[in-house]
Amino acid sequence: MPGFLLRRLGQALVTILGVVTLIFFVQRLTGDPTYLLVPETATQADIAALRHQLGFDRPLPVQYLDFLGELARFDLGQSVVQRVPVTTIIASRLPYTLMLAAGALLVACGIGVPIGILLAIFRNSPAAKAAAGFVLAAQSMPTFWSGILMILVFSVLLGWLPPSSTGDLWHLVMPSFALGLLSMATFARITRSALLDELSKDYVRTARSRGVRSGRLLIHHLARNASIPVITVAALEISNLLAGAVIVETVFAWPGLGQVTVQAILARDFMIVQGVVLLGAFVTVLLNLMSDLLYSLVDPRIVLEGAR
Amino acid sequence: MSRVSKAAAAFLVATALGLAAGPALAAKDRFVVDLVNEPSSLDPQVQWNPDSYYVYRNIFDNLVTRDDKGAIVPQVATAWKQVSDTEIEFDLRSDITFHDGSKLTADDVVYSVKRITDPKFASPQLGQFDKITEAIALSSTKVKLVTAGAYPALLAQLVKLSIVPKAVVEAVGKDAFNLKPVGSGPYKFESWQRGVNVQLARNDAYWGAKAPFPAVTFRAVPDAATRLANLQAGASDLVVTLDADQAGQLKSSPKAHALIGLTERVAYVRLNTTKPPFDNPKLRLAAAYALDKQAMIDGLLGGYDKQVPELLTPAIFGWVDGIKAPEHDLAKAKALIAEAGPAAKAEIDLSTAPVFDQRIVQAIQQMLTEAGFNVKIAMSDMATYLKRAQAGPETTSLLSFGRWSCACQDADGVLFPLLHKSSGWSAYRNPKMDSLLEEARATLDTNKRLAAYKQVHEIVASDVPVVPLYQAVVIYGAAKNLTFQPTPNESMFINRMSWKD
Repeated sequence: MPGFLLRRLGQALVTILGVVTLIFFVQRLTGDPTYLLVPETATQADIAALRHQLGFDRPLPVQYLDFLGELARFDLGQSVVQRVPVTTIIASRLPYTLMLAAGALLVACGIGVPIGILLAIFRNSPAAKAAAGFVLAAQSMPTFWSGILMILVFSVLLGWLPPSSTGDLWHLVMPSFALGLLSMATFARITRSALLDELSKDYVRTARSRGVRSGRLLIHHLARNASIPVITVAALEISNLLAGAVIVETVFAWPGLGQVTVQAILARDFMIVQGVVLLGAFVTVLLNLMSDLLYSLVDPRIVLEGAR
Repeated sequence: MSRVSKAAAAFLVATALGLAAGPALAAKDRFVVDLVNEPSSLDPQVQWNPDSYYVYRNIFDNLVTRDDKGAIVPQVATAWKQVSDTEIEFDLRSDITFHDGSKLTADDVVYSVKRITDPKFASPQLGQFDKITEAIALSSTKVKLVTAGAYPALLAQLVKLSIVPKAVVEAVGKDAFNLKPVGSGPYKFESWQRGVNVQLARNDAYWGAKAPFPAVTFRAVPDAATRLANLQAGASDLVVTLDADQAGQLKSSPKAHALIGLTERVAYVRLNTTKPPFDNPKLRLAAAYALDKQAMIDGLLGGYDKQVPELLTPAIFGWVDGIKAPEHDLAKAKALIAEAGPAAKAEIDLSTAPVFDQRIVQAIQQMLTEAGFNVKIAMSDMATYLKRAQAGPETTSLLSFGRWSCACQDADGVLFPLLHKSSGWSAYRNPKMDSLLEEARATLDTNKRLAAYKQVHEIVASDVPVVPLYQAVVIYGAAKNLTFQPTPNESMFINRMSWKD
């Protein structure tokens, strides 16, 4: 186990370094943020002076080494637009991103998995057909549209939920549904196909012939075996939910990381983008590692390479 | 799966219980403003963007300000006198205290000027103030500013110079001041929950017009449709940056109305006069004939904006009545293009960025195409657009759409950058134009300046280095009973608002 972990951590470090290096240079391909910071009346001399003060006139390799040096000291630098440390900005946004991801995952799993089971077990029933239709509709609606629709119905028309921003848990309901309904389809599909896969196996027939009841069979045998692909998908979906909530965050004015990242990209606030990408790479690597470890817990037959 | 689903069920129940507590009843002693983004900084001297100054202009006082009609009126300064062409003396109020209780004196004014004009401070606003070479405190209530040469736009620029407390800034340092600004304005900074909101509390000791609301919250709501919904749901009292369609939607709203004001901002199409086809003045004239400004305004902008014959708006000093610009005339445009022959058929790039109204950009393309030009829209992100637009005639695009505001309401901040050969924005080379702009910049005599600008407008109308389009409006959405007069400089002074009975 320690050997496996060490090797995976080493790989993770190389991956992360590669990612931050790539993002460092890609961002700088098309210039720097100076033009966006100054009023329209600034002269070329004003712009050059500001660029010099901000250090963007230095050669790229020098800036890169500087960046690596700061990174080695766990310093992510300062936002050129907001002029506060990047860690402050990320730390203020991260809780909201996690909250939204958790809410969305709850919606996606809580609705998606039962629907998947329904679709697998009662394949041809009218309820399953209706559920399939619901999944299709939920997945097909773009969030910028479904989000605004929800706001208009539940806030403006009915006045049940706060239209946007943060506050108590009520504020989380609509963004969670808007985001979660999208990944719900993935969960439903994977659960369904994993269950169908298991249902066709010999042990199911054997169990049935021994008189094991359907409910017991589902809970004790099928669910456990079918959960491996679901866990894999959950890990992937979590990193998706953490990274891909930009539209939902924008529609609901939810102060998550996605929103701040897109704004930082548009404003060429390089340091913030680097910080977020670094965090994203870190989380993705970590989640993959965790789902590998989880497999061996769920399925004792899976033995981690180098574990002995 | 059993464990997983049990855990999920437990989580669901827990969440449902948490939710059942119900939304807190919104207390209405807070005035809620929805901005597009959160302020990037509340230190008034380290950034230049609307979401920041919407907030901090309520925390800080300026040396002078503009009233709702646009006239420059006293604020921290009570009176001023031009001592010579390069020296101006200000008398200051003696009854202003900062929010920490200390007195605002001439030292603070001098410090504020020196801070923002220090190149090492790297203020993006440096270019607005770098004509000021010296600031001297003559007494505790008297300050002298010295400029490099006569600088007629000085007062117009000082409208934006927030006075910061020297003692506080020096004691806490730049970074801490940014997080917890101390000013002397009608509102005190209270808290900034980064990414969520900024809260201000009324400064009850304010020397001037007291603010109407005890507390104000500024929130970041990036999507205009959401800002509109917030307003209609009663979750906010004032929202910024709506478009004409959204203003139209508010007409039937029982809870909210649109507040629309003409601004100093002028929309224009700039032509690159150094390259074919627009090195030919007749084809530039053809472009001016081809563009139907009123059709854009009526068809796309809800009829709120106002067409202009010169590259200014009536809200700007330097505006001259009665300038005759080429009127829309498709036949004349076609004739001029036919006369020019194949030279007019060269491909023309029209550069733009996503922040501009793309319907207008497409209308420009369509109108020019209808007249016989071959126009292609070149869209890029804002930073790239700005870089290219200021790159000078060699590398800039043949056409470029923009909406200009110098935030100073003085012609020098519009015409000089867009037309003078020394500016990156200009793609026009005309010695007569350059000397007129230099002349108007170097004298304090308003009549001389106006005479020079009149000639500038006439050259623009006849030689068409740019086609001025319209005076842009700013559209706010507000709770039905809010009274607020939008100003041309797009400031949002909360102490000028009130509730109607």
